[in-house]
Amino acid sequence: MNALGQQAEIDFSRYPAIGGDDWEYAFETAQVRAIETVMLPRPVFVDMANAADFEQAADHLRSGEYAAGAGASISELERVLLACRSEVRQQFAGWIHNDAIVTLFKSRDDFANLRLAIRRAVTKKTIGADYSSDGNFPGEQFAEVFDSERYEMLPDYMADAAERAIVLYYNDKDIRAIDYAIDAAQAEFNLATAEKLGSEFLLGLFRIQADLANIRTMLRLTITQAHQRNVFLPGGYVERDQLVRGLDAGGDGLAALFFATPYFEMVQAGAAYAASEKSFLKIEQQCDEYLNGYLRTTIAITAGPQPIIAYLLAKENEIRTVRLVLTAKKNHLNPKLILDRIS
Amino acid sequence: MDYGMTLALLGAGLAALLAGIGSAIGIGIAGRSAAGVLSEKPERYGPLFVMVVLPGTQGFYGFLGAFMVMLKLNIFGGGLSEGLGTVLGLSVLAACLPVGIAGLFSAIHQGKVCAAGILMAAKRPEMAFKAGVVYAVMVEMYAILGLLVTLFLLLFAIKWPAVAAVAGA
Repeated sequence: MNALGQQAEIDFSRYPAIGGDDWEYAFETAQVRAIETVMLPRPVFVDMANAADFEQAADHLRSGEYAAGAGASISELERVLLACRSEVRQQFAGWIHNDAIVTLFKSRDDFANLRLAIRRAVTKKTIGADYSSDGNFPGEQFAEVFDSERYEMLPDYMADAAERAIVLYYNDKDIRAIDYAIDAAQAEFNLATAEKLGSEFLLGLFRIQADLANIRTMLRLTITQAHQRNVFLPGGYVERDQLVRGLDAGGDGLAALFFATPYFEMVQAGAAYAASEKSFLKIEQQCDEYLNGYLRTTIAITAGPQPIIAYLLAKENEIRTVRLVLTAKKNHLNPKLILDRIS
Repeated sequence: MDYGMTLALLGAGLAALLAGIGSAIGIGIAGRSAAGVLSEKPERYGPLFVMVVLPGTQGFYGFLGAFMVMLKLNIFGGGLSEGLGTVLGLSVLAACLPVGIAGLFSAIHQGKVCAAGILMAAKRPEMAFKAGVVYAVMVEMYAILGLLVTLFLLLFAIKWPAVAAVAGA
């Protein structure tokens, strides 16, 4: 039975297994370990969050790879961040020997591009060509695909997601249905590919990502007292029924439902913060923390694709955090709020 | 038919070959890791060099065992005065196996330990010797034990025939 057909068992206390060494990756893993040493440490983010204003926060980046020159605006910094992200992804593609893994990680941008294109198509806006160029499918072809409804031009995983999203949208004309359909299609594609590759690490990663997305959704629905039930992603360690029970239990009883899972502390902290502060910052931070913890377990791998994948995700998270702090400083948010969010 | 000399030479060959293969694989693993770190941090060449060459010692131990057999067989001085005998040949083959097999496996595993030490040295250079080299030396010990067993067997357990008289002497 495949990864989606069978409910995954939680046979670990904190993080799932990550697989063994693959000595074909000795050189690449060593290169990643050396590059990791120049990643931004947490104190830099704390200093940025505590800086008096946006300019001072940006000054902390002046000596590193995100430097954009004195007095750089947020849009200039954004260009630097996007360039760094593209560079990291190109490095990743060069390090990984298996093209299927590269395609899998590039597909994240395909799904994000597709989401935007479908939203534009169903709301009768111009499809345009302003899409991420880091995916497998060229963004400038979306206009042709949607204008002529030639979905067979898309790769199979995108065509399937597009069909599901459009059908679901026209069922009740709810724009959020597009997100649910694409997220579900992406989760299924990720798990199916990870299983096909036989990668224990990727299976664990995608199951954790599905769980974390579901927990965030559950908490949001609980706090906002929404009534959707069919919005959870497939393939996680936590059963869908348990998530639905979480919705019914409400804020106070939520954490207890996760007592036997590794997510207990995260749900407890996130639910308490959401109840007291009316904010989801803590659950977002806790989810990032948990995922980063899983990625950090790849330190035990001396050679293999796991540390390289972990580096890509950690680097993307670093870029996202830089953007988050800079945007928060630009909008004069309270440093405490920023610190509550960053992991 | 007396296969004694053939078996003894096979033993010598295996000692050098197995340990040599182990060393080549071990150095290959450690070398690739070191190259990866050096591509970003060339200033770490010194401490990493030690960890790359450590798995190479097993190859020398194998060579030493093989050389000892060749000396005892008087390969370089005209051979033995009489046939070695199949039983003695088998004994020499058996005596060569500890250094060959211990060398093969210990070198590969030492290469992996060295690779892990190299990765650690990339992040914490102050630990390169304390952990990287010391742990690798612990693996080395078992190759040394294999070499010692081979040497003791060759030197003390085997009754070698007399060497052939050199013509004209």
